[in-house]
Amino acid sequence: MKYRDNAAVRFVCFVLLPLIILIYSALNRGHYYSDLICLFGINLILAASLNLVNGFSGMFSMGHAAFMAVGAYTSALLTISETQKARISGLPEWFQKFTLPFPLALICAGLVAAALALLIGFPVLRLKSHYLSVATLGLIVIVRAFLDNEDQFTNGARGITGLPSYSTIFTVFLTGLILLYVMYRLIRCSSYGRGLIAMRDDDVAAQTLGVRLVTKKISIFCLSAFAAGIGGALWGHLQTVISGQFFYFTDSFNVVEMSIIGGMYSLSGGIVGALVMTFLPEILAPLETGIMIGGIQLPELYGASNLIMAVLLILLIIFRRQGILGDSEIIVESIFSKSTYTGIFKAETYRNLADITKAKLAGLTGKSKKQETK
Amino acid sequence: MKKAIVSVLLTAALLTSGMSVMAEEDTIKIGALFNLTGGQASIDTPSYQGFKLKADEINAAGGINGRMIEVVSYDGKTDQATCANNAKKMIDVDNCVVISGFSDSNYALAAGAITQEKQVPFVITGATLPDLCEQIGDYSFMIPFGDDTCAYAAAEYAYAELGTKCYLLIDQSMEFTKTLAECFQERFEELGGEIVATDNYMNGDPDFSAQIDKFTNNDGGAEFMFFSGVPDDAGPLVLQYRDKGVELPIVSGDGFDTPLIAEVAGDQAHDVYVSTHCSYTNEAENIQNFVAAYTEAYGTAPENAFAGLGYDAMDLIGQALATVEDPTDTAAIKDAIEATTEFKGVTGTISYTADSHKPDKTASILELSDGEFHFVTEE
Amino acid sequence: MSFNYILGQLVNGIKLGSIYAIIAIGYSMVYGILRLINFAHGDLLTVGVYTMLVLMGFSGLPIWLVILAGCIVSVMVGMTMERLVYRPLRGSGEETTLISSLAVSVFLQNLISIIFTPQKKAFHLPDFLTVNYSFGPISLSTINILTLISIVVILIALTLLLKKTKIGMAMRACSDNLAASQLMGIKINNVVVVAFVIGSGLAALTGLMLAGEYKTIEPLMGFVPGLKAFCAAVLGGIGSLNGAVLGGFIIGIAEVLFAGLMPSDITPYRDAFIFFLLIVVLLVKPNGILGSSEGGRS
Repeated sequence: MKYRDNAAVRFVCFVLLPLIILIYSALNRGHYYSDLICLFGINLILAASLNLVNGFSGMFSMGHAAFMAVGAYTSALLTISETQKARISGLPEWFQKFTLPFPLALICAGLVAAALALLIGFPVLRLKSHYLSVATLGLIVIVRAFLDNEDQFTNGARGITGLPSYSTIFTVFLTGLILLYVMYRLIRCSSYGRGLIAMRDDDVAAQTLGVRLVTKKISIFCLSAFAAGIGGALWGHLQTVISGQFFYFTDSFNVVEMSIIGGMYSLSGGIVGALVMTFLPEILAPLETGIMIGGIQLPELYGASNLIMAVLLILLIIFRRQGILGDSEIIVESIFSKSTYTGIFKAETYRNLADITKAKLAGLTGKSKKQETK
Repeated sequence: MKKAIVSVLLTAALLTSGMSVMAEEDTIKIGALFNLTGGQASIDTPSYQGFKLKADEINAAGGINGRMIEVVSYDGKTDQATCANNAKKMIDVDNCVVISGFSDSNYALAAGAITQEKQVPFVITGATLPDLCEQIGDYSFMIPFGDDTCAYAAAEYAYAELGTKCYLLIDQSMEFTKTLAECFQERFEELGGEIVATDNYMNGDPDFSAQIDKFTNNDGGAEFMFFSGVPDDAGPLVLQYRDKGVELPIVSGDGFDTPLIAEVAGDQAHDVYVSTHCSYTNEAENIQNFVAAYTEAYGTAPENAFAGLGYDAMDLIGQALATVEDPTDTAAIKDAIEATTEFKGVTGTISYTADSHKPDKTASILELSDGEFHFVTEE
Repeated sequence: MSFNYILGQLVNGIKLGSIYAIIAIGYSMVYGILRLINFAHGDLLTVGVYTMLVLMGFSGLPIWLVILAGCIVSVMVGMTMERLVYRPLRGSGEETTLISSLAVSVFLQNLISIIFTPQKKAFHLPDFLTVNYSFGPISLSTINILTLISIVVILIALTLLLKKTKIGMAMRACSDNLAASQLMGIKINNVVVVAFVIGSGLAALTGLMLAGEYKTIEPLMGFVPGLKAFCAAVLGGIGSLNGAVLGGFIIGIAEVLFAGLMPSDITPYRDAFIFFLLIVVLLVKPNGILGSSEGGRS
């Protein structure tokens, strides 16, 4: 028995502690730390949804920025005020006054992104591995060209400003939780998910067992795009300003990095990846501004944090190829399985906890005694 | 042994925390928001260096009412989310009382949404979207003129001196270049000029051969060319058109006045006219002092007009702060900046009113000849 | 729209395509053996060019020595990259190596930015390399002609290397089946190093041609041509040298013709069109135009 299997430990680490942090930051709305946690929540949705395609279906998409962009623009056009819309020339008159409540706009954002995925999915998903990666990179370029040049719908390179700031801790994490739950049930608790994983591991064998490859590939691609569209929309409502240049290669690469770092074979991996990629750059940033460390004044060296990030990333990939979590689903499982919540009311859990602690302590003192005798 | 280490650590921690409290009381923190790496770095870095230079000069002269200035800067990495995070961090964590920065309106808008919400003055160093301050709100101020001033000046000069038929080349992927071209076209056609041909390219394309051949094949009788592009593309653009034998005068907007044109195109860089913020060859004392100080501090002459804009931003903030009693009161600082009249900077004279936070500056027209930009006129 | 006009544009396309073609050869060599999409390949070009810029500062150095030194530094960086990053990762998934190559790319770009500042810099070749020759509507500079000649030379040399030498045979074997080649006693490490040496050397040469043509350099200059060259390699059939060159020319020509022939409200869709073309070609010929179908490995 290990700590990580204990219901109480799981409850504290993955439910109680995050909940306290979330409630605390929800009370400090708009503060830097609170918004950083919002950003983490959005990244979590993006990374987990990318894992659906890259980790569970064996395809490798790099086009998440395209779906984010489509989602963000859809939701922006559906929610901005009339004065903001007046800046955009080509909108039909009935649309000028048309706004949707936020939840509906979010769903529309997801649906439009999913529709785009459906449209390009039929031809593109026939491609394999790296060819698919290139095609999805191409999708980013195509979407960007559209956003920059169709001024009458997108306001061109100027982008759209004045998006209502609907993205709060509450909305972001509630959306994230719902999406995670749907994905978790679908992947881990249904024949659909098992078929998907079978397809990833050996598509020919899966096909002989009756898995319909094309339907599976396209449906999971659309689902992933749906979540990415919602993620993009939330991102737009967090920043309140969007334009084509903010949904490009770097942003896609960023999501792919999250998914690889955390471990792309599990949804929880996406969470950990998002955590690392959201907070690590913020922690490293002060290093390059020329701070004092131990009385020594370091010189200003902008770009140094990017260097350190790159090196850390490479080291991590070399020493843990499958990502930090590998295929362990511990976080999502702990949040959604009943046993976590029933477990904390059972005396057995605590007895078990005490046993593990005793064993660990015994191990520790045992070791130190050995060292002393040496 | 352990106890000793712990106590040493504790004292160290206490000392440092005590020091940081003391430091906070003494200094005025100003946030410098720039993209120091990535695609925007080549225009933001000179701005940042100009900004820092002025801050150091103020501190060397005894600070503001006895308080030192501390410039807090994080790299925006040419990434919108990072820029927005940095703005929040500067205000919430570092307690900056004024934020300044950005040479591109998309980034300024992203940061402006935050500074406006948190009611902290935001002095924009280089972004020139004409209605930028209206879009952001009353806590934002522009150091440069708007694209309209710049483009109108270019259009008027060109119409008077260069001809009535214009070829227009636009970088289609940037907000700034699109707005500049629109403003230019509007005024030029108002004056009676005619745009005889238009073409475009995307930011970052190194190759313009297709556009040039298209133009030489059918130039529509153009008498001069207006290039709406970013500074980075200036050198290659001029060089490639000249290389292919297009000798027409070239007109462009702010930022195009980079020494790179002369370095890259050499003798071929002639008949290039730029409508911009300032001329570093201007004999005025304050401009020459700035050029000398910048060259001494960074080992290179100011790379482009953005260096002067950064310098002016810090200068203006410093002068406004000197009139404020409590330099932690952001509303008072905003009022003090708004009260700026007849501020004489490197890049011109700035006055704000309650209605307009965009200075009514004049644009300088410079001509490139013998490898240097020479002042022609002011519009 | 005269014939001369189209011919002139075609030549512009060939000039641009020749640059993509050489980078694509390097991409293809490495990919063919390791199935590694090396995003940092474009940045090797930047490394080479900046080395040359520094050395050109010392007047008196002959240009061939400067070029040689640029290639050597680029090759050394390429080999270091292979040894430190890609070798420990060999055998892991395509995605993992792809992401690590992105990280290497970020590392190199930022390192160059820190050392040389992010500003664009002027880059001048000696005058005899930039003389223009005009043949009717066509105008080519010495460097253009040298580029085209070097493509032919490189293609012939590499084909001979692959077909006639022992290491070439080893490379082809590895390209067919890495695991089996290892069992047959081929020293894979040597083969991979040779591929990286050739690829990085070519990258530095392309950097020279790119910088010579456009006369400016900047720390991020390698990324976009690298990406385009990668598309070229995929279009032509990745792993095939002739395919890489063909793909390079197709993309270069398509880009220029699109910008030159289309009305100006469509031309901003140039890059979108290139990728659209790529996707269409891949759907018709899933292994690229000249690519052979991949056997056991995919």
